[in-house]
Amino acid sequence: MSNRRMDRTETEAIRKVLAGDRDAYRVLMERHFYAVTRVAFRITGDEADAEEVAQEAFLRAYNKLPSFRQDAAFSTWVMRIAMNTSLNLVERRKHDLSYRAPRIADDPAVDGETVRIADIKDGPEDALLTREAVSVREAAMAQLTPMERTAFTLRHMEDVSMSEIAVALNITVNSAKQAVFRAVGKLRRSLTPIAGGTR
Amino acid sequence: MKHFSEDELIAYQLHESSDEAAIRAHLEECSLCADLSDSIAETLRVFSAETAPQPDLELNWQRLRGNLSVLDVERPRRLTWLRSGWMWPAVGFAAAVALLISGTVVHLHRETVPRPNFSINGHGPLTTQPADPAIADHLDAAERLLTEVNNASGPLDETTRNQAHDLLMKNAVFIHKARQGGDVAEAAVLENLGRVLTTVDTEPSTPHSTLRLRIEMNTSGLLLDIRILRQNDEQNNDGSKGATE
Repeated sequence: MSNRRMDRTETEAIRKVLAGDRDAYRVLMERHFYAVTRVAFRITGDEADAEEVAQEAFLRAYNKLPSFRQDAAFSTWVMRIAMNTSLNLVERRKHDLSYRAPRIADDPAVDGETVRIADIKDGPEDALLTREAVSVREAAMAQLTPMERTAFTLRHMEDVSMSEIAVALNITVNSAKQAVFRAVGKLRRSLTPIAGGTR
Repeated sequence: MKHFSEDELIAYQLHESSDEAAIRAHLEECSLCADLSDSIAETLRVFSAETAPQPDLELNWQRLRGNLSVLDVERPRRLTWLRSGWMWPAVGFAAAVALLISGTVVHLHRETVPRPNFSINGHGPLTTQPADPAIADHLDAAERLLTEVNNASGPLDETTRNQAHDLLMKNAVFIHKARQGGDVAEAAVLENLGRVLTTVDTEPSTPHSTLRLRIEMNTSGLLLDIRILRQNDEQNNDGSKGATE
């Protein structure tokens, strides 16, 4: 994510979309869909949810394109929509108790949540350790609030600046920093019993 | 010796500290803070970026494209002159004159002149002809069902899915009638409704599918379209009743 202004290709694509050419929107999607999906995945922690969020973010951005002020980058704008959509989805999921229930109707062979087949290159012990590590990380991340998780993943995994996180989450820079620091503190304490860590 | 807090050391590890040199110097002398700093660094390493899945761009584009309406921003551009402050008194005056003239014309010609209706989400006229009264019941039932689906938080129950199945059958008949009657806009809304009803009827009921339905309905404005369609239909029926009375 960056604050740079849009290049001519994107400006031209937006102009065409606003003139009624829907297919011109594909240029913007090709450039930013992976980044948006990746951020949505970091926040929601679920591949299907991330795709759904990215779809919704791009659709909302398209419908709001007539009011988009082109003094900001399209990427920043669509990313902000995606972050808010992701946070809303995570909030909704918290109230939806059936969400993490086993999915009987899904095909277990293609559902990563139902059955995980170890990489054949890894031995059974490696696979077990990998699963345990993933499980520990997921449990630690689950203790974070959606805001903390979002701020932390964007800062640490996506290398987004604090000021950009603050703008995206509609909070002050100081609040964004505090959210990241709280997240790191919580994660560290979650790992301490396993690592036999310090204070 | 002044120790640094956990937050200060986290800021240091994330390169967000304004006091980086002082902290680095302190960590070389203080084993307590150095241990804490190492623990933070280890945490950040454990939670470093994992590979994110790469979605199928083509598939996602095709899904998205189906939901994109053609945007038309020519109207706002043409109206930019209205933003100038001096134009408003002139516009007000012109509107008053237009009202006066139209009032006189209506007074002189009391007969009702049918006018096209352009009010549905910019899709163009729906219908100004008296429609089949049975469609009002159909649209009413569809609106109730979609409102229920739109507000549902979990998987849909069997009753809702059966209702969707019944509505789907009737919907096909109304689409056929709308097409035969040349009402393209009405047929388009009913086709959109049919698409959602088919999904309700055939997809395995999961929280994902329910959410997807809600997104489709919210974003495409299907529920709004149906409400406007129903209101237009009721107005048409009222109009035709008034004409026969």
